[in-house]
Amino acid sequence: MDEIPVTMTVNGRRRTVLIEPRKTLADTIREDCELTGTHLGCEHGVCGACTVLLDGEAVRSCLLFAVQAEGHEVTTIEGLSPADGSLSPIQEAFRQCHGLQCGFCTPGFIVSVHAFLRDHANPTDAEIREGLSGNLCRCTGYQGIIAAVKMAASGNVPTGAAT
Amino acid sequence: MKPAPFAYHAPTTVADAVGVLGEHGDDAKALAGGQSLVPLLALRLARFAHLVDLNRVEGLTGIQRVNGSLEVGAMTRQAVAERSDLVKAVPLLAQAIPLIGHFQIRNRGTVGGSIAHADPASELPAVALALDASLVVASPSGSRVVPARDFFVSTWTTSLAADDVLTAVRFPVWEGRCGFAIEEFARRSGDFAVTGAACGVALSPSGDVSRAAVALFGMGPTPLRAADAEAALVGAAPGAADLSEIGELAVRGTDPPDDLHGSSAYRRRVGAHLVTRALTRALEEANHG
Amino acid sequence: MTTVQAATAGRFVGQAVPRKEDPRLLTGRGRYVDDVRLPGMLHAHFVRSDVARARITRLDVSAARQAPGVVAVLTADDLNAKAGPMLPTLFVGGAMGRGAPVVPLAPGDVRFVGDPVAMIVAEDRYAAEDAADLVEVDYDPLPPIVDYESALSGTGTVHPGWDGNIAAQMEVPVDPGLQEIFDTAAHVVTETFHQHRYSAVPMETRGVVAHWDPYREQMDVWLASQNPHEARLVFSRVTGLPENRIRVMIGDVGGGFGLKNFTGREEQVVVLASYVLGRPVKWAEDRREHLIASAHARVERVTARVAVDGEGKFLAAHVDHMDDVGAYPIGGGSAGAMVALFFSGPYRMGRLAWRTASVFTNTCGRAAYRGPWQMETTAREQMVDVVARAIGMDPLELRRRNVVRREELPYTMPGGMVLEHVSPLETLEQAAAAIDYAGFRASQAAALADGQLLGIGLSLYVEPQTGMGPFANEPAQMRIQPDGRVDVFLGSGAHGQGLETTTAQLVAEHLGVDIDDVTVHQGDTESTPFGPGTGGSRSGPMLGAAVQQAATSMRDKVFAIAGHLLEASPDDLAMEKGVISVAGSPQASITLAHVAGAAYLNSGALPPGLEPGLEVMVRYKAPAGMYSNACHACTVSVDRASGAVRVLRYVVSEDCGVMINPNIVEGQIAGGVAQGIGGALLEHNVYDDDGNPLAATFLDYLLPTAGDIPDIEYHHIETPASTLGGYKGVGEGGAIGAPPSVFNAVADALAQVGAHITDQPLTPARVREALG
Repeated sequence: MDEIPVTMTVNGRRRTVLIEPRKTLADTIREDCELTGTHLGCEHGVCGACTVLLDGEAVRSCLLFAVQAEGHEVTTIEGLSPADGSLSPIQEAFRQCHGLQCGFCTPGFIVSVHAFLRDHANPTDAEIREGLSGNLCRCTGYQGIIAAVKMAASGNVPTGAAT
Repeated sequence: MKPAPFAYHAPTTVADAVGVLGEHGDDAKALAGGQSLVPLLALRLARFAHLVDLNRVEGLTGIQRVNGSLEVGAMTRQAVAERSDLVKAVPLLAQAIPLIGHFQIRNRGTVGGSIAHADPASELPAVALALDASLVVASPSGSRVVPARDFFVSTWTTSLAADDVLTAVRFPVWEGRCGFAIEEFARRSGDFAVTGAACGVALSPSGDVSRAAVALFGMGPTPLRAADAEAALVGAAPGAADLSEIGELAVRGTDPPDDLHGSSAYRRRVGAHLVTRALTRALEEANHG
Repeated sequence: MTTVQAATAGRFVGQAVPRKEDPRLLTGRGRYVDDVRLPGMLHAHFVRSDVARARITRLDVSAARQAPGVVAVLTADDLNAKAGPMLPTLFVGGAMGRGAPVVPLAPGDVRFVGDPVAMIVAEDRYAAEDAADLVEVDYDPLPPIVDYESALSGTGTVHPGWDGNIAAQMEVPVDPGLQEIFDTAAHVVTETFHQHRYSAVPMETRGVVAHWDPYREQMDVWLASQNPHEARLVFSRVTGLPENRIRVMIGDVGGGFGLKNFTGREEQVVVLASYVLGRPVKWAEDRREHLIASAHARVERVTARVAVDGEGKFLAAHVDHMDDVGAYPIGGGSAGAMVALFFSGPYRMGRLAWRTASVFTNTCGRAAYRGPWQMETTAREQMVDVVARAIGMDPLELRRRNVVRREELPYTMPGGMVLEHVSPLETLEQAAAAIDYAGFRASQAAALADGQLLGIGLSLYVEPQTGMGPFANEPAQMRIQPDGRVDVFLGSGAHGQGLETTTAQLVAEHLGVDIDDVTVHQGDTESTPFGPGTGGSRSGPMLGAAVQQAATSMRDKVFAIAGHLLEASPDDLAMEKGVISVAGSPQASITLAHVAGAAYLNSGALPPGLEPGLEVMVRYKAPAGMYSNACHACTVSVDRASGAVRVLRYVVSEDCGVMINPNIVEGQIAGGVAQGIGGALLEHNVYDDDGNPLAATFLDYLLPTAGDIPDIEYHHIETPASTLGGYKGVGEGGAIGAPPSVFNAVADALAQVGAHITDQPLTPARVREALG
């Protein structure tokens, strides 16, 4: 089918892309916006690796068509990372707690946790597990991830250690 | 896993939406939250030449009290309903929404979309059926109201015609001493229920059960009202009802699916137990009310 | 959970140093294969069979060839004759039994649902999938062979023209002496254990970008793989190109767990297609393809017969093992020999006899998956509990009576391997104490009185790291640059293990530099030495030893030069964070950069006879076998109404020798345990009787989520290995120990009410059925 222009704000920057209506937001972010931090783990809305913020809310970008983002604000993992090479507090907490191994699910988790902690300032352990249950990880067994979320929630994230 | 091509429509009024759907009939599909539809498109299990995006149609969101009911705009996000104080007036709905998927799903999924998608294992159709909700439907010939018991026809099939658009759901608000509970069994938190029960009970001033609603999900091609179980409960004196027996009665005659996650017999067995648990909780709540 | 401490000066090994890999992965700057984009790159998509076994009577790709955006549609006629052999290295020379007859595309018949029949190459994946819809295929179905019985019954062969469906078999029969033991033993207990089909399922599916440039005469391949040099060998064989015209580059890889250790069929087809078409081609496997057609694992059956004396001592065992390797196994082939040889595990078991067979079936092929031989632990540990219940002894006590003790080491197992430097009894006691085994038995009884079912399960194992055949040596190459920074080149293919970090820790420790000054290179065949990739839990014992050896070798050379420059004996020198000083003379010091400058740029200043430069190349030759070991203990509750199992506590007492980075050690255990719990309770690649895979999406193949895995409690024992550094492997253990500890816990819970379960996975429906 014919391509149509779609204008959306991605990480604070207005972007116009020319895409078929059936092209998913995930594919558009990765290819047309050249932001490859958002990953495809299943393309049917289960694994959460493709999570982005749409107008600030965590959503599965594989279940949205880019054309639906016309006029909206999309924030990807790149948009949640400080531009200067440092890590955000949530990212630093993941690093301190060994909350990632292969890193493939990690951007989806960081984006989801960003939204989750914004809406749950003092989550219980059960709330954290429940809140994270929409993101799949195959490497960590979730141990380091849960520890990282607790650390980030506590506000006591050590500033970046050496290396 | 990429969807097949479609022509995309983004109407801004109900009339336009209905018009496009009417024009293309079975070749068109309405897109609400997309959390159920888009995976089907990605897997190419379904394809439509036309996709009609309802997300820009005005007037389909919002929650308000109207004449003894809570009217929820069909395109109201599940997450918005979850956070809404107004939804507390319909406790069964308030309990059901957090059970749907995960918060990322609820940020896009809609109350109306879930009901119109009519997955027999999902919670909101059962809640609508339990409460005798009214579905407000717009079509080329105008607007009409469909009672929930006439709405669910079969798996993923409702009485909506190709050019109908669900615009709102009206959940009746129960007054007086009442209690509600939804219980489900799923393989993991957020998964589709293997079986579940959505129940409401109301008590008379003397404490007898004056009204009972028991709706099952995951137990057939549509959500089911367990009329015999309800009848057995109505009139029961406080503490007199044998809830285990009523649970068994609720699933008698059902023909639940047989699949990877459980056999028919298993679903009946667990379903009965969940009815018992839900009624126990609902009655406890009503008694303290 | 060990929290990270900042690295202390001079002591990097043993510290929970934060990973060097993390900053790029946390910010979305990792480079996975699907992130690779080349100018003019095309996209491949496979048309796959939807029947398990059939002759192809018609294949018409003409409409697909005309579809918009399509550059080529390749079939068996286009490709198969152009392909060389497609087996991975292990199978060359028949080393692992007979591998399947892999060819690029289905050669006139299909052998499993998902079998690739044609390949679309188009300008984008959307267009390729549209074109796939236009391919017309007619099948003449044949009765599919989907289980052990039909594979052996002689009603058909999975691979037409082959004599039967046996992929491998081996037997050491029961001799009269062994039969005598069975005939006279106080107890003989027999039980059959079926392990169901589940698989690695990394979060990143398979993928490859291949770019043949006929003018540069170079094949560049970006690959999601654990094993770049093996991949290069394989691509060389299939294309006929010399290895030195092929470059394989592995960037970040989103998990592998063995599945990406040997190069798959589709990756080879894409490389061949690029060669044939002269265009760059990408293939990104989607999740449905992954679940039905990448590789499966764990489909095995063991009938164990164990003879026991009146005091519960094991006297002998017979193991009858069978596994189903599907139609086209990748590399891993049969686990049979190892299952049999390792069946005795950490116990004294007297005599052992066995029979193993692997069969082909019309299902997705098998690949190595985290502890591919783990059926020996899964079956044995369940068997120990079965024997315990049969003779009326507590499972912990039965283990205590039979476990090999420290004083007995080195201990020759009935299978012939020699156990050394292991601590199974110590881990058993540590785990039992940590989980408060005795206290739990009391709570369990109280819970039963209340109508609640709780259970406790143990699993004890030894885990080999193999230093045999293609895995016998491990390279490490090191160069110090003129500015004093260090580059290390490895033959590995890390996919989450943090090798950039642990390598830097080892170099920092044994050379005497800062971790920040070490850059680790792996995954690019152009710049790294030939190596066996990353798998088989070798990163600790082999890679660690190689890196340590290279670092100490390099330090010796640095000190030889520095000593000459400082007029001091090398024995009096020390180096810390790149500064070399003389013991007892604080003023006398020089930097590593100074030494490097002399080494490269001022050869006249070097000691006479010393070769210039600071470059070291080491190949560490490992002993044939090394062992790590662990004990897992878990408690579960079983809901009587639904049969749902919840893991309450999970304890691991493990001995992986000297730990390089405790966080990474625990991370490996955790990931394996989660996969084991998932395998035990949730994951199942189900096939129906017609060979249709029913778990084709994540809606039906259920991976464990954060809600399904409890906090894991770790305890460590450090029995150094005999290898340099004393590091042992830890990557696979979690997935080996977890399934039987969960199975045992559930069986323990059910046994209280006389219920018995042998069917896996332990879905709520099955458990409910077993409860009656």
